[in-house]
Amino acid sequence: MITGTGVVKTFKQRGKMLGAREVRALRGVDFAIPKGGAASFIGESGCGKTTLGRIIAGLETYDEGEIEIGGVPMSGLKHKQRQPHFRKIQMIHQDPYSALNPTRTVHQTLHAPLTLRAGQTGRSRAWIEERAAEVLSLVGLDPGTVLSRYPHQLSGGMRQRVVIARALTVDPEMLVADEAVSMIDVSLRLGILALLKDLRERLGVSVLFITHDVATARYIGADGELYVIYRGQVVERGAVDTIIADPVHPYTQSLLSAIPVLHGLEQPGEQPVMPLESLDESQSDAGCLFARRCPFRGERCAEERPLLRITEGAPQEHACFYPERRDVIARPMSEV
Amino acid sequence: MGTQAPGVRIGGLTVVYKTPAGELPAVRDISLTLEPGTITGIVGESGSGKSTLALSLLNAVQPPGRIAAGSVEIDGLGDVVGLAGEELRKARGRHIGYVFQAAQNSLNPLKTVGKQLLDLGRSHGVEDLRGLVREAQELLGRMGLDGARVLDSHQHELSGGMRQRVGIMLALVLNAHLVVLDEPTTALDMITQANILKIVREVHAERGLTTLVITHDIGVVAEVADRLAVMYGGRLVEQGPTREVLGAPQHPYTKGLIKAIPRLVGDIDEARALPGRPPTLATVPKQGCVFRERCALRMDVCDDVDPAPQVDQGERGPRTVACHAVTVKEHA
Amino acid sequence: MSATLIPETGSAASEMRRNFWRGVWRVMRRKPSRLVGVVIIAGFILMGVVGPMVLPEHLPSDTNAITQAPSWEHWFGTDPQGRDVLALVITGSRYVLLTAAVTAVITVVVGTAIGLFSGFKRGRWDTVLMRFTDMKLTIPGLPLLLVLATVWQFGSPLQMGLVLGLLGWGGVARAVRSQTLSLRERGFIEAARGLGLSTRHIIGKELLPSMAPYIAMNMLISVTGAVYSQVGLFFLGVLPYESDNWGVMLNLAVFQAGAMITPNALGYLLAPLLAILLLTLGIVLVVDAMDEIFNPRLREE
Repeated sequence: MITGTGVVKTFKQRGKMLGAREVRALRGVDFAIPKGGAASFIGESGCGKTTLGRIIAGLETYDEGEIEIGGVPMSGLKHKQRQPHFRKIQMIHQDPYSALNPTRTVHQTLHAPLTLRAGQTGRSRAWIEERAAEVLSLVGLDPGTVLSRYPHQLSGGMRQRVVIARALTVDPEMLVADEAVSMIDVSLRLGILALLKDLRERLGVSVLFITHDVATARYIGADGELYVIYRGQVVERGAVDTIIADPVHPYTQSLLSAIPVLHGLEQPGEQPVMPLESLDESQSDAGCLFARRCPFRGERCAEERPLLRITEGAPQEHACFYPERRDVIARPMSEV
Repeated sequence: MGTQAPGVRIGGLTVVYKTPAGELPAVRDISLTLEPGTITGIVGESGSGKSTLALSLLNAVQPPGRIAAGSVEIDGLGDVVGLAGEELRKARGRHIGYVFQAAQNSLNPLKTVGKQLLDLGRSHGVEDLRGLVREAQELLGRMGLDGARVLDSHQHELSGGMRQRVGIMLALVLNAHLVVLDEPTTALDMITQANILKIVREVHAERGLTTLVITHDIGVVAEVADRLAVMYGGRLVEQGPTREVLGAPQHPYTKGLIKAIPRLVGDIDEARALPGRPPTLATVPKQGCVFRERCALRMDVCDDVDPAPQVDQGERGPRTVACHAVTVKEHA
Repeated sequence: MSATLIPETGSAASEMRRNFWRGVWRVMRRKPSRLVGVVIIAGFILMGVVGPMVLPEHLPSDTNAITQAPSWEHWFGTDPQGRDVLALVITGSRYVLLTAAVTAVITVVVGTAIGLFSGFKRGRWDTVLMRFTDMKLTIPGLPLLLVLATVWQFGSPLQMGLVLGLLGWGGVARAVRSQTLSLRERGFIEAARGLGLSTRHIIGKELLPSMAPYIAMNMLISVTGAVYSQVGLFFLGVLPYESDNWGVMLNLAVFQAGAMITPNALGYLLAPLLAILLLTLGIVLVVDAMDEIFNPRLREE
């Protein structure tokens, strides 16, 4: 179980001669990802979803709030003490090309973490070789052909599988996949998603999926939780299928409306939502963060910030004063 | 200079790249017609040859590549393959606008957008530079940007979506009526992507263009294109009206691609990954069907004989598919 | 991280090494110019190692044949003491190469260490070290060398190499630092850290191999710089006289034998110049291959 409460992160932008500008990347985010569970963060780039993922993987520090891994709070610990906890959470980067060292073979890449592990647990050299082959088989690669290869000799999909295999060498409890398929060929994407899903089911590894594409989030775990993040705040949170079917926050609705419609196969939703303007980080923080772009904003939105809560009529949490279900997603022709 | 949407007829186009293993075709014997005033979408994965095909439209294939055979006839311009030097340079920009990938930094980081616009104007001998700037501002305004501010900005001051709109402006400002968009929304967010696609559609209609969109994302084509062409391993495997191809795909690759898209509603487990992986220049079969390695309908004939495109004149335009299995089924 | 590191399986490692050298051979064969470069450098090393062993310590001087023009007997003529110029160049090469080697080692070791440390630690250490490096880079080299040479008459190749190396690591440090900064943002370094791999592993196994081509190139370039500097210093005559030294030969050719006006002494002037030129050429030709040698993708293709 990995939980976070009120996680805050502020970046100071340098460069300006006077008065460094502060960017609020996360404004008090709560989350809970159960063991073997699935969660997805969705939102536009710059919304803070990647920062949150990196904080959870221990690659970035947080300013306020608390993260607990298996019940152990992280903020009281020193860097060295945190490391073994964060090692249970492994990051799968977006770019499989820079995630593997071009000068090292797959064998070398897997060997290093396994050797470390063998040293810690007093296992033999044979175990290392065995385990290397095992993790490769787990991700659907043939150890015999792949071990001696350099990254450039592998396709994007195979590289991403090696990256996942490398993460598995430390027996992680959770994989954080940050846009893990966006740089992979379309016909191979589903294979990687299926692999993550399979690892979840077979090994009980929880998966945190960070994406701007809701449909892929659904594939990893329809039973999982979806967090819609906007400018560092969770604006809607609930079961994936609930939010896809009955979104109530106008921002979630804009995200869902923006998914391309496969004309000929699908019928567009009847009430698509388009934000009034594009994302501007420098906009004032007063009131609802989405108010300026929101086509349905009311008077209250400019003055007060709505907090994430459950209201009558919707099973999911949302941060909107005027929640209303709208028909935004495309439906298959056969259903219409 | 024509002011009407030109038609484009690509005939038997083959583009080869010189490699240590000899000259290998990145695009092989492709015939494709872009009807005047339509948006055509070309879908393909990496190594499918889609970008090479787009560059051929400008006769801009760089060595070690070269156009080995075929023709690219553009109305009002003739066969582009025969053009060279000054004529070719004039044609690019004046007749054909090219919008580079959003992810690439196709703008000069050291110059403001306005300066680059003026450079473009001067290199094409535009006399009325003021008019050019006015036109650019109008176009940017049309796309929802503050024209004056954008022209004063450097590349790093613009967001991905804004850069992409600047790219479209630069492609259209010289009044080109044939526009090629290479991966117009890659690396953009969903909402920005929806915005850009809307702009592409609207500008296309307002200015009377012939548009070609190159992408790996079927969704993008589904949103904007009238006609859809699917490329695989340097070959055109299927083409036709977008709705028809999506609604009733015939080629096993097209079917597989559509099946591999996770959907928002319905049984999520219906989504299926395509087995195998796309071929590279070196691994693409020299003879026979290029897709057979990953095909569930593979037959003996696929190994030796290249399936010929079967044309079917439909109501909404011709539909072509190049697959032995489909042909056999029809004749059976 | 004190876990004992089990070495990578012996057979696999030796197999890799074999593949590496096979790859190097492929890269070298790709362009004939590279092979020429290797042959030139190998030739000079042979000269430097074997030359002084074969030739007598005091080269025979023929007082009847001083400052002779090139002939079949003396390919580059003789010097004002009647010694064979070619033999002088050969025996002198040891000094040049030894200095160059010492310089290269110091430049690379100091430069890489400081660059890596700076780029990896960042923060205060980086600022301090880079200010220091900048300061060093701004001091004009030759005047400083001249001052140092007159104050401390460093004559032996080791001393010379030490001085040149300690003056010359700035460029390498800068290059290595900027490489480190850009590489440490790459996914694979982040992943290594996330997996809990030791800093030693990250630097030694992940960072250094990726930077090897830059380091190798900088090393070879610093070698050419060292050759020029030392020859220059001896030519200017600010260092104690060495009997067989390319710089001294140039000095004597110009100021004693009058090579500028005496055609007979032309060989005496040209021979060391030609040697310097050839050595530089050899290095430049080999530098071209470094990128391909250390990049597995370019090596295999």
